[in-house]
Amino acid sequence: MKKVLVMGGEALKNLAKGPVTKHVLKRIADHPPPEDIRTIPRIIEARCIMCGTCVTVCPTHCLGMEKDDKDNGMIWLQRAQCMWCGHCQTYCPKDAIHIDREPALSNSLFSFNNRQDYEMICASGSYKEEKADKKLEDLIEEGGKKLKYLEEFRG
Amino acid sequence: MTGEFRSRFRTLVDGSDAPPDADHHIFIGPQHPWCEEPAHFIIHVKGERVVEADIRIGFNLRGIEKAMENKTWRQNTMLIPRACGICSAVHQNIYVRVVDRLAGVEDQISERARLIRMFSCEAERIHSHILWYGILAHDAGFDTMLHVSWRDREIIMDIVEDFSGNRVNPALMLPGGVKRDIPKEKADRAKPMLDELEKKVLYHKKVFTEEASIRNRLEDVGILTKEDAKKTTPNGPTGRGSGLPFDVRKAFPYELYDKIDWNLVYYNEGDILATTLVRLDETLESIQMCKQILDNLESTQGELLVRVKPRIPEGNYMSRAEAPRGEDLHFGVANGTDTPERYKIRAPSLGNIDATLKRMDGEYIADMPVILRSYDPCFSCTNRVMIINEKTGEKIIIDQDEFARKAIKAKKYNRSFF
Amino acid sequence: MSAELKELEGILNVTLPEKLIEDIEKVEEGHFNVLTTAKNAYELMKILREDAGIYHLSTVSGIEKEKEFNVCYHLQHRIEEEFREVPINLFVTNVDKGNPKTPSMVDFFVSADYYEREIYDFFGVYFENHPFLQRLILPEKWPDDVRPLRKEYGWEQIKEITMDIAKKTLEED
Repeated sequence: MKKVLVMGGEALKNLAKGPVTKHVLKRIADHPPPEDIRTIPRIIEARCIMCGTCVTVCPTHCLGMEKDDKDNGMIWLQRAQCMWCGHCQTYCPKDAIHIDREPALSNSLFSFNNRQDYEMICASGSYKEEKADKKLEDLIEEGGKKLKYLEEFRG
Repeated sequence: MTGEFRSRFRTLVDGSDAPPDADHHIFIGPQHPWCEEPAHFIIHVKGERVVEADIRIGFNLRGIEKAMENKTWRQNTMLIPRACGICSAVHQNIYVRVVDRLAGVEDQISERARLIRMFSCEAERIHSHILWYGILAHDAGFDTMLHVSWRDREIIMDIVEDFSGNRVNPALMLPGGVKRDIPKEKADRAKPMLDELEKKVLYHKKVFTEEASIRNRLEDVGILTKEDAKKTTPNGPTGRGSGLPFDVRKAFPYELYDKIDWNLVYYNEGDILATTLVRLDETLESIQMCKQILDNLESTQGELLVRVKPRIPEGNYMSRAEAPRGEDLHFGVANGTDTPERYKIRAPSLGNIDATLKRMDGEYIADMPVILRSYDPCFSCTNRVMIINEKTGEKIIIDQDEFARKAIKAKKYNRSFF
Repeated sequence: MSAELKELEGILNVTLPEKLIEDIEKVEEGHFNVLTTAKNAYELMKILREDAGIYHLSTVSGIEKEKEFNVCYHLQHRIEEEFREVPINLFVTNVDKGNPKTPSMVDFFVSADYYEREIYDFFGVYFENHPFLQRLILPEKWPDDVRPLRKEYGWEQIKEITMDIAKKTLEED
């Protein structure tokens, strides 16, 4: 008989303690998600040099590169496909990418309500200043397919 | 085919290839409350006893091996943890070791990076084992244990989230090292939590060994003898419960497992209780290892990441690791470009199917849920869906991209999905 | 080769006839690659299984080379007293691409059954004397001549075939 009641203590404890979920709700309010939680990438435009590293290392091809009519480069993000791996942040040569840590963002991503299909995350023209001699198509070609530029850049 | 083991997976769906002495055929799966995983079990019974069991797999082929051939080695670092939902870190660990070896940076990886990799793998083993014995208790009709163990599992999940930024997919590793450091504040925060978890797991062990209502469901059920185990080649806890004392961490040490104090757990009984105790003891052992790793991290310094070039020189390498479910094997072939020539993944569950089917022979049909659960089946998730319009009965099949596009459009223009 | 052969023979405690082996590479301490041909594979495996007592087959993998297929048996030699394993990768080379055939090892390992059927599914390599060489993983409606892991089929092509099958199934319903 004694052996059957190994978990009896647990039952009594729970009777006195009240519902566990109350504690969980309190916890969410008191403790926000950890600082280092991973969500989607953001780009610091001043630092971005449009090298295309993030586009080549992205496993889900959710990052893309385009050129607008003024010859400015821009990077867009397909939010629905991003799996928050943080690969772009790791490989960014200029530390221009940081991972968004806004907890509300992770909630909004699970519903289709606030989800935008494509989002421009960097519309910097700075590639012109630093790499004026190279055309964007060439950068993408080299960065995206041959990885030659990437090699040079990362030394 | 040798003697009593006839070719598995051959029984036809209508049971026409069944053994002659069976009088009923019970079909379980791919969707069934007994087994949530996508596998089809065919159990031939005579009265209440199982004569023979068979399985069909392949309901969810995702084609990760083919996908890997079309992505670069760097992109694959983030694809490979998706091979399994629960043991993501261990898949990534083998992958990065294969790439390290092929790229020739194996010796340059610092001790600190290796310790962080090990911590990730051991934390994963803890939460996977706790999850498993919770579900086992649920299958045996002891739901209290499910809730108690899953409540306590949150402690290790919180630690993993704090260290890596994600609960089940830490993705801490990269070819050449690790992505994130474990700073001292975080380690200090985790140590008392691990002490608390150890107390809880000791209590779980007490429940499994002393509580009669669960022990009677597991003891002397589904016995796999050592001789049968040698023939059916199970791996991991399934083999260690049957007296095969092989754990890749001990058998062929990788990372720093040979420099850390830990004991190999194995039992000789071969029943379901033995595999449960193997996992419970391993959980305690892993908690002890995690504490050791955090202590060692304080005194170890080193570069976290060594540069690995995107092009991997020609060669092939086979590497293994001990996943929570057993021996996990990866075999990579590089051809000098930035994409793999071939990459083979053998997840542990496939190797354990034969042994589990052998366990079922001669058992009661009522014990099947526990035996099916014993090897911790883990197959895969799906990629495409069928959507049925309730009003018209119209059916469409779409893949993930199209699904997202359609859903967004429907929401944006406030119209029907179709 | 002879030094590695001696070392492997010492570990396994058998003599391996040199004529059955093409080459032996030592990958690292206690980890060997053994190369053999489809003609000699069965005989060599018999020695490894019955004389050396290797009972654990981890998996079988197929590799497509430029002119041939390779089939690799990942074996583990287990030393129970020391809780130690010695991985041996047995490569069966020279499997002809036009008519890929290699002996089946089901006689020695029960688990070779479905590992070999997986290779048959994905590469179309025929395992001779296999008792039940049938489809294991690919769907029932998958076209017989399409072997998805061969290089001739690209990622997009496989995706198309998969969607076609799904749509066909829907029409039949």
